[in-house]
Amino acid sequence: MTTVSPNYYDSDQARRPLVSELANLWGYRGLLRLLVVRDLTVRYKRSTLGVWWTLLNPLLTMSVMWVVFGNFFRFETEVPYVVYLLSGILLVTYFSQAVISAGSSIVNSSSVLSKVYVPPEVFAFSAALAAAANFLISLVPLLIIQLVMGVGIPWTIVLLPIPLVAMLALVAGLGLLVASAAVYFFDVLDLTGVLIQLIGYLTPTFYPLSIIPPEFLPLIYGNPLYSYLLVFRGFVYEGVFAPWWAFVVMVGTAIIVLVLGVWVFSRSWKNLVVLL
Amino acid sequence: MSGPNPVEVQDASLAYRLSHNRAGTLKEFAIRLVKRQVQYERLWAVKGVSFSVPRGEVFSIIGPNGAGKSTLMKMIARVLPPTAGRIVVRGSVSPMIELGAGFNPELTGYENIVLYGTLLGRDPSYMRGRAPAIAEWAELTDFLDVPIRSYSSGMLARLGFAVATDVKPEVLLVDEVLSVGDEAFQRTSKLRIEEMIADGTSVVFVSHNLGTVKEVASRVMWLDHGVAKMVGKPAEVVKAYQGSV
Repeated sequence: MTTVSPNYYDSDQARRPLVSELANLWGYRGLLRLLVVRDLTVRYKRSTLGVWWTLLNPLLTMSVMWVVFGNFFRFETEVPYVVYLLSGILLVTYFSQAVISAGSSIVNSSSVLSKVYVPPEVFAFSAALAAAANFLISLVPLLIIQLVMGVGIPWTIVLLPIPLVAMLALVAGLGLLVASAAVYFFDVLDLTGVLIQLIGYLTPTFYPLSIIPPEFLPLIYGNPLYSYLLVFRGFVYEGVFAPWWAFVVMVGTAIIVLVLGVWVFSRSWKNLVVLL
Repeated sequence: MSGPNPVEVQDASLAYRLSHNRAGTLKEFAIRLVKRQVQYERLWAVKGVSFSVPRGEVFSIIGPNGAGKSTLMKMIARVLPPTAGRIVVRGSVSPMIELGAGFNPELTGYENIVLYGTLLGRDPSYMRGRAPAIAEWAELTDFLDVPIRSYSSGMLARLGFAVATDVKPEVLLVDEVLSVGDEAFQRTSKLRIEEMIADGTSVVFVSHNLGTVKEVASRVMWLDHGVAKMVGKPAEVVKAYQGSV
């Protein structure tokens, strides 16, 4: 069946951003799939290390941190430190990779977007989806380490899609916000990198909460990423549900940021496209 | 020849925002904001243009370079949303404005057929099925598995044309592409467009070749500095335009 581009265009309708944009995106799901697959195959097929590169990168980071913080500083955690550390690194890597690649996706696709009509959000969403796929692949070494270290794999692992999808919404929304700003100013992406690093340090990936002086705890509790990490660690190795407020923060920020991102982006697209 | 017009442009305008001393970075912008040096000037590339194209009509846009012809085409193609006014397009659109926009030089001819077709809003699985026929029509069957960075510009243009016209659209936007390829290809591509027109496809056609315009267009618009100076019968508009140059 031939599905040709949306068969009705009325520029006035574009003023109802959310409804028309989302309906529009559905028509381009084939393109979304194609872009995600292309992103992954380019990364895996065309480099010698291929899929191992995705696995190697967080493992190397983990090894360095494990030597420094596990052996020199001797951080105490309830589970073996390696499991605590790697789970944190993986989630924060997913976050930062996705926000940066979704944030740069619009500028990078400007040659297409300024010539052919495609809902521009498709490029941001496909970047976020590719990062999610990478995250899933990089879970494999974590699960192996859990087995080797005797932590095991709890049944709650089947609930992983919940934090995974919430994170996808968060990074897609943030990515769209960054992407709109990046069209105006090209240093926005560098700045975003720095901010993401800051958020990463405010997330207890490599240190236990017990070493944080009480007066600084609000900084960590105030970081939404902490809630995502609590839920993720609960499901992936602890086998427990994180406290209810973590779920509220996670789902709440995911929905708010996604809606905000799509809304701001579609509202400003008119001004962005003439700058591409 | 009934029903609403496939293309309707109502008082449409498009402004590019030029900022003097455009701040490329956020840092610079912040400094200028503090110094109160942020100024924008609007450049109207298209201003208050209205026209409609009925089914099966060839509507041609002429005018000097920088008149806003390509901008107007991109507005109809939905790439540029109008700053003011309204544009309605009923039915599918094949934009032959920048043929092969979205081609990736590292991917093979086959992969590019699928990618470009999908960017044009078609289904990837449908494009996979059509790829051999598209390649055959573009006379590129032997090069289907070669990355297109080794294609010549003529081959690229043929491939772009073949993908864009593979599906019969309700509206065809043509920006001077009739002049791609060698003579044999020009003939076949012209034939394909004529078939579509006979079948009811509406065409918006931008050209500098006034001879072709007089020959193929049903109506002509003369665009100058973003403003429609004259709309009417090809012979009259072309004559007035030639008189002004």
